Amino acid sequence: MKPAVILAFGLLGAAGLSAHHSFAAEYDGTKPVTVTGTVAKIDWTNPHIHFYVDVKDDAGVVTQWKFEGYPPNMLVRQGWKRDVTMKPGDSVTVFGWRARTDPNLAASREVTLSDGRKLASGPPAGTGGQ
Amino acid sequence: MARHTTVTTFLVAALVSVLGSVLLAQNPPKTAPRGRATAASANAQKIPRAADGKPDLSGIWITGALQLLVGEEEANAIRRADAAAGRQPLPRPEPPPYTPAAEAKRQAYVARRGIDDPMARCFLSGVPRITTRPLPFQIVQMRGQVILLYEAHHAFRIIPTDGRPHPDDIEPSFLGDSVARWEGDTLVVDVIGFNEKTWLAGVGTIHSDKLHVTERYTRDSPDTIRYEVTMDDPEVFTKPWRQAEIFRLRPNERLREYECIENNEDLLRFEKLLQTDPTFQNTPTR
Repeated sequence: MKPAVILAFGLLGAAGLSAHHSFAAEYDGTKPVTVTGTVAKIDWTNPHIHFYVDVKDDAGVVTQWKFEGYPPNMLVRQGWKRDVTMKPGDSVTVFGWRARTDPNLAASREVTLSDGRKLASGPPAGTGGQ
Repeated sequence: MARHTTVTTFLVAALVSVLGSVLLAQNPPKTAPRGRATAASANAQKIPRAADGKPDLSGIWITGALQLLVGEEEANAIRRADAAAGRQPLPRPEPPPYTPAAEAKRQAYVARRGIDDPMARCFLSGVPRITTRPLPFQIVQMRGQVILLYEAHHAFRIIPTDGRPHPDDIEPSFLGDSVARWEGDTLVVDVIGFNEKTWLAGVGTIHSDKLHVTERYTRDSPDTIRYEVTMDDPEVFTKPWRQAEIFRLRPNERLREYECIENNEDLLRFEKLLQTDPTFQNTPTR
């Protein structure tokens, strides 16, 4: 009997990367975006959470960005706690990739909270074609 | 309320069943046979065993892309532990051995950036894809049957291990029909009776209703199960497609609810993309 062999990145690995869907169908991994603003609302729902961030430009004009993220079950295992980790009114910086459909929609990858902590909020950009 | 009562009754029955077996699993008899002084037999002695002396696979397990399941930090800790234990990473998995016709279909799905993925529409994933979702699953091993409870889609598989054959009235389904037997310390699950509505793994990994899946579960250490799966389908493959994974025990984990269709905005966006994005006008499928 051979000793146990462990996969670093196995079977269906590339396949399993996306929590729910093929990233590339909706988002463009070549178009990263980072915004800083105030959390307006959080929809803590499956199969993705969505959160809205009000971003003010230099002229004082506010644009609301909508971000998609992991489902709640994955967020809690990455260290998130509902209604505690991120709340409406909090100042956050969000990194993600732009949607192909809407100009102010993006898939979030990481949120920097007001206390400086960085938490993963969504999967890495996948190609959807692997 | 009547409808809810029925559902509640089912859930309570399922819970009682699961709790009963969990209690059994917490007190496994120590009947491990003595083996030779090799690493493998040392592990074989350490693994928990059921009353019948077979390895007890019960527990909550994770597999697949660990960083998505438990975060980068924890995933790195697991990788460091692997390295410290001398475990070698396996090579990248082989691509599906599709016939030219099936490969052409897969490539068409790839060109459509995976928008046709049944999973994105909240369809139940099949075997083995359900296992590698970045959500944990629980194995409940009982006398005569093994029950798999998946957090993804609330899916379950009830797998007889008492020697009975597949039934003769199988309806094609997402998860197929499973029966199992023990080959030494390995649980071998035979799965047939699939519909054609699922993908096996990545984008476009289609199959027919002739799909025959064989899963092999071997608890090769107290904390891991080696999972080997063979997918055979004469309509799409030129030879069986073999893959392997490692399941890792997560004693402090619990299964949570995952109701996929709750707020699946992808469906609306897909409709918009299908109507407006040239990619989807030029790459017909099916």
